[in-house]
Amino acid sequence: MSGRKNEEALKRREFLQLVLGTSAGLLLAPGQAFLRTAGRKETGLKVLVLGMDGLDTVLLDRFLQEGKLPHFQKLAASGTYRPLGSSVPPQSPVAWANFITGTNPGGHGIFDFVHRDPRTYLPVFSASESLPARHNLRLGKLNIPLSGGEIRNLRRGRAFWQILEDYDIPATVFKIPSNYPPVETKQRTFSGMGTPDLKGYYGLFNYYTNEYKTVTEEYGGGGRVHDVYVIGNRVEARIPGPNNPFQRGNPETFVDFKVFIDPVNPVAKIAYQDQEFILREKEWSGWKKIRFDFIPTQGVSGICMFYLKEVRPKFKLYVSPINIDPSDPALPLSTPESYSRELARKFGPFFTKGLPADTAALENDVLDEKEFLAQDEIVYQESMAMLEEELRNFRSGLLFYYFSNADQRQHMFFRLIDRNHPAYNEKLAAEFGQVIEQTYRQMDRALQLAMEKVDRNTVIVVMSDHGFCPFRRGFNLNTWLLRNGYHVLRPGTRPEEVSLFQATDWSRTRAYGVGLNALYLNLKGREAQGLVRPEEKEPLLRELAHKLEQVTDPLTGEKVILKAYLTSEVYSGAYLPEAPDIILGFNRNYRISWNSPLGSFPRELIEDNPQKWSGDHMTAPDLIPGVLLASRPARLEQPALEDVTAGILTLFGVKIPPEITGRPLF
Amino acid sequence: MVWWLNRAVGSLFNLIFLPFSSLNPWVAMLAISLLTALLMLFIYKKTSNQEGIRRVKNRIKANLLEIRLYQTDLRTQLGSQKELLAANLQYLLYNLKPLLVMIVPIFLILAQLNLWFTSRPPAPGETFLLKARFIKTMDLERLRLDLETPEGLVVETPPVRIIDEAEVAWRLKVTGPVDDPLVIQVNGERYQKIVPAGKGRLLRVSTVRVKRNLWQELLYPGERPLPADSLLKQIELRFEPQRLKLLGIGFHWLVAYFLLSIILGLALKGLFKVEI
Repeated sequence: MSGRKNEEALKRREFLQLVLGTSAGLLLAPGQAFLRTAGRKETGLKVLVLGMDGLDTVLLDRFLQEGKLPHFQKLAASGTYRPLGSSVPPQSPVAWANFITGTNPGGHGIFDFVHRDPRTYLPVFSASESLPARHNLRLGKLNIPLSGGEIRNLRRGRAFWQILEDYDIPATVFKIPSNYPPVETKQRTFSGMGTPDLKGYYGLFNYYTNEYKTVTEEYGGGGRVHDVYVIGNRVEARIPGPNNPFQRGNPETFVDFKVFIDPVNPVAKIAYQDQEFILREKEWSGWKKIRFDFIPTQGVSGICMFYLKEVRPKFKLYVSPINIDPSDPALPLSTPESYSRELARKFGPFFTKGLPADTAALENDVLDEKEFLAQDEIVYQESMAMLEEELRNFRSGLLFYYFSNADQRQHMFFRLIDRNHPAYNEKLAAEFGQVIEQTYRQMDRALQLAMEKVDRNTVIVVMSDHGFCPFRRGFNLNTWLLRNGYHVLRPGTRPEEVSLFQATDWSRTRAYGVGLNALYLNLKGREAQGLVRPEEKEPLLRELAHKLEQVTDPLTGEKVILKAYLTSEVYSGAYLPEAPDIILGFNRNYRISWNSPLGSFPRELIEDNPQKWSGDHMTAPDLIPGVLLASRPARLEQPALEDVTAGILTLFGVKIPPEITGRPLF
Repeated sequence: MVWWLNRAVGSLFNLIFLPFSSLNPWVAMLAISLLTALLMLFIYKKTSNQEGIRRVKNRIKANLLEIRLYQTDLRTQLGSQKELLAANLQYLLYNLKPLLVMIVPIFLILAQLNLWFTSRPPAPGETFLLKARFIKTMDLERLRLDLETPEGLVVETPPVRIIDEAEVAWRLKVTGPVDDPLVIQVNGERYQKIVPAGKGRLLRVSTVRVKRNLWQELLYPGERPLPADSLLKQIELRFEPQRLKLLGIGFHWLVAYFLLSIILGLALKGLFKVEI
């Protein structure tokens, strides 16, 4: 990593500390009721929704035509198969929030993975907000929180299972994205995408090695490399845990561990706390419990996996992000709270982090393709086992069940089916070019399981939130704004050295980009140092939209942005004032660059994406619709996500509330 | 000698727990706590000065009453406090003898209960660690080491030799019922270790086999000790710990045992006219 990158990483870490707070403090968050009763009405009709994140119409069509997905074929023939209109922008948190609430982002307030705080211009997570305890008693180095911390789900609008609850219709909603922490309900729900690891990150792995290695600690995730020494066939190191809310300054907690390596055999024993286990080289440990103590009576429990990548000549040990222990959750995972424990009793430890596949480890070459897939296969097998159990218990109402595998693998393996991708590698393509197809086949097996287990009174719906396309080239929005005079840096600043808008002259800046698709005006009365007067807003937005839609890539001659959506035209609802002013709908093969979303100004306006994260879904939504399959004919020719919500409510005879903008699908 | 004592006590516990093997372990825990309470009451009654304890308790009560009645009289208060202290000391002395006598059976009982309640044997498909601890002078790298597993067990990993801890460890997997012991061969010498397995709700699980040594043998009474001249100090199976579950809460057996024994002892002392 270059010095500049190091500096940036440091700034990001500082920034993360600011925005994430300490997850540990949240352990004191007020608990939900221990036992509750979900709706118990016996519904004659049942609805099963399989949410398969990122299933793409183009690929699905191809595999269907090739006869590779017999159960999708069967479902399509029995009822409905058509593209499903995604959200603007087609990002998962936004799209699933559309489905959850049956309305557009103006009605639920999730506009992007990342929002910005108009008071500071700094990026903030859009999905949830964590607040430490307000009152603390300080005794020397000891800090005693006197009140509970708080964690808030920032998605607004009522979830469809809350509406079903009003009618006493039972629902189980398993790992739906954009529901962390799970909203208050008596239904059985388990949080999905957006659920952090025990440290409060979206996934932070640890890598122990005596080889020179750097990895990036990205916005909300990534990994850490720990330099270790092998002395006398022994390695001693520490696993970092959550910050300690009981100590002044909230220092990070650690668990010490030892690795004993056999002098000859490629095998080692790992020991920490009361755990001892042996791993062969290239072997996963399965889930291991780990406890981080704050003070003698207080601590939090997590689960993680170890992978002994190499013993010799270099020592390489990967430890997965510490997931929240579902049998003793330190942070809210489910409603009722006992649901999480019930699952842990039946299945033992399982992935609780929102997106379980460790894409950052693959991106940083800590895990290779095979190792990444081995880990994601564990995720799939866990999901299948739990789906089978949920189907066995599915007697009434609605069951929603989520799969993340297709989304995560398409993000990482699109480069191996796209010969024009900068990261295409012929050798890897020969070995892993079938991964995406195999994943679609696995989704077909999940559907097969569902079809075999449900009865005739069950309507089966398979849906995805968006499709996929290659991410070959990245657009630096803030660089474009800078070059076109909409964004101004303080004199003497080298733009490529700036991050988090640290050198922006806000008194002369009219627009800025934060997040993956969002552009904001520096609006007077809204932003802390707003410049654009309300009467200037509309013409400026039209000017920006027009100019952005004209940007072409000199390398390909293609338009970079297919459509710049004015949110005032595409959103409606109470939270429209909080929305970005423009949402960029990129052209196929394009996306925002890696550095622009966090307030950086890279030198190139459009740059190649050489990374393994090579497939994405930030284009204009029309280019990458999701898929909809149902065992019942749909009334709508061009359904959208929110229409599925309205359709589900209609199936149960529930009156559609006025805030839902979707039309009944069935 | 110790082995024969362990064997006799072990047989007694096998007999006691025989009716409970298929029941909830709490039933066995309740039964053994009741038997312990009765045994302790008996010992206490027979080994303590019951009359002396009654007297000293009366003295304590009288002193407490005195303190309450003469709250304004400093001299009487101080005198009563002194008397109270002396009476308490006397009470403790009266308890010393029965407690010393009780330690012996309690130690034997705890060592046996450790076998029944501490660990859960692995089910088919589960793995566990086998650890062999050697005498410190052994050169582990030159050792001729072999592991013979009976039917129902497979060795999953090569041995991990930890030189400075004189330890060798393997990972084993249970594939079915295990009827025979496993054998560790060290330089041609054979050392057996029973691998407890079964499906009962209450099982005797000996996880450690130790070398001949008085205290070690008393602590781990489950198996005949290794010979005194053995190259091995100890053979250990690392099984999952088990908890006694009640209303979804897991209790360590030691907590459950002491609580139940004390509660039952106090409840029954009147019936058996024991002055505690």
